[in-house]
Amino acid sequence: MTYQKPIPLKNIDNAPYWDAADHHEMKLQKCNDCSNYNHPPGPGCSKCGSTNLSWKNFGSDVKGKVYSYIISYRPFLPGFQNDIPLVIAQVELDNAKDVRIIANIIDCEPDKVEIGKSVRMVWEDITDDRALPQWKINE
Amino acid sequence: MSKITDRYAIVGVGESERSKNSGVTPLHLALDAARAAISDAGLEAKDIDGFMSYNENDSCTSHQLATNLGVRPKYVKDILGGGSSTELLIADAISLIESGELNTVLIFRSMNGRSGSRVGGGWDPNMLQANIDGGSYIIPYGAASPGQWFGLFATRHMYETGITQEHLGHVCVSFYEHAQRNPKAFFHGRPLTMEDYLNTPHLSYPFTKHDFCLESDEANAIIVTSAEQAKDCKTKPVYIMGMSSRQCHPHSHYWSDLSQVASDYVAPEVYQSAGVKAEDIDVASIYDCFSWVVLRQLEAYGFAPRGEVGDFVAEGNLRIDGKLPTNTAGGMLSEGYTHGMNNVLEIVRQLRHQYGETDRQVKNCEIGICTGWAGPDIAGAMILRN
Ligand SMILES: [Zn+2]
Repeated sequence: MTYQKPIPLKNIDNAPYWDAADHHEMKLQKCNDCSNYNHPPGPGCSKCGSTNLSWKNFGSDVKGKVYSYIISYRPFLPGFQNDIPLVIAQVELDNAKDVRIIANIIDCEPDKVEIGKSVRMVWEDITDDRALPQWKINE
Repeated sequence: MSKITDRYAIVGVGESERSKNSGVTPLHLALDAARAAISDAGLEAKDIDGFMSYNENDSCTSHQLATNLGVRPKYVKDILGGGSSTELLIADAISLIESGELNTVLIFRSMNGRSGSRVGGGWDPNMLQANIDGGSYIIPYGAASPGQWFGLFATRHMYETGITQEHLGHVCVSFYEHAQRNPKAFFHGRPLTMEDYLNTPHLSYPFTKHDFCLESDEANAIIVTSAEQAKDCKTKPVYIMGMSSRQCHPHSHYWSDLSQVASDYVAPEVYQSAGVKAEDIDVASIYDCFSWVVLRQLEAYGFAPRGEVGDFVAEGNLRIDGKLPTNTAGGMLSEGYTHGMNNVLEIVRQLRHQYGETDRQVKNCEIGICTGWAGPDIAGAMILRN
């Protein structure tokens, strides 16, 4: 059974993030001039406009706290019909507080989600060579 | 006060029929709305020398509309956009009249929003990923609807400020109540009680179907001209005291920061431009693509302090006899949906006291605010007076 849901499309700006994800690691774009992270990444720093940007590797141990979430009871895109209810959460990273990353919280009953809940990043192997970062509640 | 205060006016408003399935093209709807607005103003089509519209590749062009009215306009402009576009285009119209390029401008929005191209879905996921800034960070997770994106803002804001599901319900119930007095409202004859609301399941938490705007086939039009020329029009002009509209968020992927919205930037500017304060406002049209968006704007525009907005709506202040009667034709939650222009038509009619002695008229209203919201990153607002 092939993967039915949208696969992240790599482009000139986001490729390092998704390449790292394929290896079950997280990389974030960082500005060398103002030291802020820039996420989602782009050709210029959204804080200072600098193009002096680099990528920092956080490895495979990525933790954070739920900052906000929604729960979809209807699939808004094809491929998600078996994932309802679907928890979509924005998570504040423990090691980079100004960065918040959106993903699903997988294997999670909707009534278990709340703001502040501790989660960790896991990677779903969605095709032979692609992996998708997701959140999982820390028990 | 600003340079434009009271020097320009909305002199005509009009709409087509509203339905689930118009059976005609957006051009036909636009012609009906334009003719109604021109007649409302007591003008002839040839008096309009500028035509403008906003659309999402789902409409006709300004040039098509003008030529089908038998007019060869001096200026046409069609922009891609949704909420706040009315305010953006009024600002453009004023600039062109101020510079002497144009005399009178008709602005319209026409769409088969229900039977044709719907905002609610049917998009190709890869097209969405490629076209939405930062799309790869949301589309693979099933987040493809404004209800989900704005929902992330809503959940966090509700957590921080104590807004509850019932507070969202007060917005819906108040607007549905207005719609029961408006025979042309989509949900006329379908009242909503708080009990019904609270028993409605979530479509996308924290939103139920009642918290989402409706989808309709319709066109709306307004006519803007200078205060001098407004004197010759048939209807009582509604003067523009001040306005502001801008796209503004610290990151182009606005969901990267849920703590601020463009309305926070527009609010001080619009009051400064008009020379009035929130407490001077008698009636409001607040962009309501979702119930929570109203609450967030009540905070931004200073109608209740942060943390007290829920109480403000629970006290009934959005109702016809409340402190701030809002979206008095039913708004986009229950009247119709043209990305905000139907709310502009209503506030113009309220400020003209067009409903007279009926129960639809907000008593003694002199100053009104109209706000737009295309998303957390784009807001527009204007303050009007009679
Ligand atoms: Zn920087």
